[in-house]
Amino acid sequence: MKAIRKTAPEALAPVPFNIPQAFKTKLDNGLRVILFEDSRLPLVSYRLAFLTGDADDPAEAIGRTSAMASMLMEGTLNYTSHQLAERIERIGASLSANASNDFTAISASTLSLYRDEVLELLGEIAFRPTFPESELDLYRRNAIEHLKFQRSQANFLANEQAARLIYGEHPYSRISPTAADIEKLDREGLIKYHAATLVPNRAMLIAIGDLDRESFLHQVNDQFGKWEKNERPGTTFPPLPERASRTLTIVDRPGSAQANIILANRSLDRLSPDYFSVLVMNQILGAGASSRVFMNLREEKGYTYGAYTRIDAKMLAGDFEATAEVRTSVTSDSLKEFFYELDRIRAEKATEEELTDAKNFLTGVFPIRAETQEGLTGLIVNQELYGLPDDYLQTYRDNVNAVTLDDVYAAANQYVLPDQMAIVIVGDADEVLPQARPYASAIEIFDTEGNPIEPAAVGSKSDEPAEVAGKWIILLDFQGQQVPVTMTLEQNNDAVSGLLETPLGSGEISEGYVSGKKLKATSNLEIQGQAVDFTIIGSVEGGTISGEISSVMVPAPLPFTGTREA
Amino acid sequence: MSEKFNLPPLNIDQYKLGNGLRVVLNRDMAVPVVAVAVYYDVGSRNEREGRTGFAHLFEHMMFQGSENVPKAGHFQHIMKAGGTMNGTTSSERTNYFETLPANQLPLGLWLESDRMRSLAVTQENLDNQREAVKEEKRLRYDNQPYGQIFDLINEMIFQNFANAHSTIGSMEDLDDASVGDVQEFFRTYYAPNNAVLVLSGAFESDTAKQLIATYFGDIPSQPLPPALDVAEPTDVASTHREWEDKLAPFPAFLIGWKTPKRRDPEFLALYLAGKLLYDGDSSRLYQKLVKGTEAVIQLFGFTDERRGPSSIFVGAIPKPEKDLSEIREVIMSEIVSISTDGPSADEMQKLRNQLINDTVRNRQSSMSRAQQLAEFTLYDGDPELINGELDELLAVTSDQIRNSVRKFMSSENRSLLDIKPAGKG
Repeated sequence: MKAIRKTAPEALAPVPFNIPQAFKTKLDNGLRVILFEDSRLPLVSYRLAFLTGDADDPAEAIGRTSAMASMLMEGTLNYTSHQLAERIERIGASLSANASNDFTAISASTLSLYRDEVLELLGEIAFRPTFPESELDLYRRNAIEHLKFQRSQANFLANEQAARLIYGEHPYSRISPTAADIEKLDREGLIKYHAATLVPNRAMLIAIGDLDRESFLHQVNDQFGKWEKNERPGTTFPPLPERASRTLTIVDRPGSAQANIILANRSLDRLSPDYFSVLVMNQILGAGASSRVFMNLREEKGYTYGAYTRIDAKMLAGDFEATAEVRTSVTSDSLKEFFYELDRIRAEKATEEELTDAKNFLTGVFPIRAETQEGLTGLIVNQELYGLPDDYLQTYRDNVNAVTLDDVYAAANQYVLPDQMAIVIVGDADEVLPQARPYASAIEIFDTEGNPIEPAAVGSKSDEPAEVAGKWIILLDFQGQQVPVTMTLEQNNDAVSGLLETPLGSGEISEGYVSGKKLKATSNLEIQGQAVDFTIIGSVEGGTISGEISSVMVPAPLPFTGTREA
Repeated sequence: MSEKFNLPPLNIDQYKLGNGLRVVLNRDMAVPVVAVAVYYDVGSRNEREGRTGFAHLFEHMMFQGSENVPKAGHFQHIMKAGGTMNGTTSSERTNYFETLPANQLPLGLWLESDRMRSLAVTQENLDNQREAVKEEKRLRYDNQPYGQIFDLINEMIFQNFANAHSTIGSMEDLDDASVGDVQEFFRTYYAPNNAVLVLSGAFESDTAKQLIATYFGDIPSQPLPPALDVAEPTDVASTHREWEDKLAPFPAFLIGWKTPKRRDPEFLALYLAGKLLYDGDSSRLYQKLVKGTEAVIQLFGFTDERRGPSSIFVGAIPKPEKDLSEIREVIMSEIVSISTDGPSADEMQKLRNQLINDTVRNRQSSMSRAQQLAEFTLYDGDPELINGELDELLAVTSDQIRNSVRKFMSSENRSLLDIKPAGKG
């Protein structure tokens, strides 16, 4: 009985999964219609999606697409905002609209009992919104307050800076309109913009669930057939900025309990032929809880609750990001481990096992995502909106499986760019700056409102860094034994370097810093041919120092005291 | 529209192993995936003073290796099989779950049984996960504006320590947790007779039963954990508190009431009252406060359902220039209106449709079904209750809602938490 538990069991016979076949058609006005009949449960989901998004906002009307989407629910020719909410919720249905960078979508779901009524309401808000002045006024005021709330959140501030640094003048650089943008939104503009952008020839209607094809198509023809197409010129977008070197951007958020870190560089657009290689590479590197960066920063080091990398491939461009929220005192250690992993995936090929594991995950989770109507709708919508091949979902697993170790290696070298990354850290700048300074030559600091702060001004609020230069004679308490160690330090403002000498071996001290009376430094010692990191955390009081030295070699940190040689 | 809604019942097979493990099988072949859920009857309510946050810290330890699975091997085994997994801790229970391709059912059962049988606990793993949990606390609570207010209001509502303290716990208590505590906790609470195993999705019943017997059948049972008293006096512990939140950009408030336990007809009535008050754009308070007076930026409310005394909350983040007490007046007057006149016929119709829709939608995913079944089994001893849940809710009358609101959502016996921004800027 016990032997059977020793190793993971064999899988049972595989059960094939085929994405259900869709019925597709196109109306004369260009509206594409996609239908999946599925009568397992008495439910229906609809999505009416448009090839227009926040990136298409005119320069003089930033925020207009999102405002238009939100305002669709706030009054139509036949219903007030209140009446719409009542009608939808009284039948237990949901109806909502939102815009992303590239697309705008109206989503609805309902019991199949009310499917006709909900499709009718979906048409009502898509075609006949009136954008009432009073509702727009409320929208503007609420959006401005909401923005203040967002600015109190560390992840918003971090994403805002990362997008600005990667996308520059390109509209993907905006993760939200400003208060001034919001104040300028006007009814006339929304009405015109709605007529120009929500058009059938740039739209698709997807329906999934307990539907009857004949009567559905009949209703679609009735409701959507007379909708007039409208060609509009394509927008041209500024190119992304070229980044020649690594930069450090800190957002000073006083009172932060953590440092939110984003490391970002540009990557690829959604239609790039490298997409699958990058997908697999990212899975190995950081997409999940068994990926390298999570294993390192969380499972080995305990710096964070979660550390990940992600690829955001949008229609026109994309980025690569590594992110973690870490306790402030290990900001520099976290950067060190991040860059270690980013360098490693570029320098060495991944193993066969890592490749297989990543592929198994990506192909295996596919059916799980198709279990619900919402999940399946999401898969189909993405395929159709990005203009991916018709058999994209059918061939997805084959495409993942075709990726080789060489492809992963090439993808890492092309799309993970440690030397030109934007390092963004939101946290207490006094604590963060000395730790992150060694990682970039160009440094900029902002407050939470986006106003620049002089780097020289940071740290002045707290104590001046203590003088730590000199030779320190230290006694280390190793299980009751006093072990002599010397530490020779050089200091440049808050940056510290030097040498640590122990009976076991000696090593350079690099990436050290002083904040007030606190000293933190890491030394890489060579002990019996092995490189071992020792971390020194001490408190300096004039000519004396006390603290702890920790290392993977010792089970618990070793306390020490020491004095400076005169 | 008042005819009975006929939702086909779920196919449920339940039995108990010799060691006391309760097993529930819900076979549904629609998509070739299978959900595995293991629920242990232990949550923060079982923690003693000085050990808050322990049930949750322990949940992290369950991913740190067991006799035949190395540290972090759980994540890796599941992911390389193409599955997803997680674990969560609440006041009531700790759960562990994975969704896998159907043919990987043996893997899920092997992994869950190995850690139920033989968790490996080391000082190094405990230290490391303690740090991960502290960062989780900072990420979710300490570093978020308004992040701590729900833990605070629980302390104001409940008098019994078992109910009042937070699931995430305090940094000091996390520091005090020892390897010995972890081992003791494992022996006491992580026994097969204190757990429920649910499978939902695509599997053959005979195969599943055989695998379950093989992997779980010989895990020894343990003496039952100590009895727990979650009884509460009717009065809330504290009626008013001010809280300075250094990350909050605006003042805000949260009102909480103590309610009867989950599934109690009065609790169900309050749950429905809550939906009418704060759920959706057509709700009474949204229409009064977000539209209407346009006084609040954000309105929120929910019920926290527990096996013992539970609670209901309403909160708002008002616009900066608005008078908080006036907004509270509006909220209280809507509550009084429900407690006087009850919901309207239209509102009852709306509730009915929403309940049917929610119930049907929650049946789509195998994991959602598995989790509901596990709760009914663990809390009520009967997974079949899932098939009657909708009817129980639909049976609640307008009079019951009126009476329950009058009885439990009073202006006096409630906890009011006032949040003041206290940022440096």
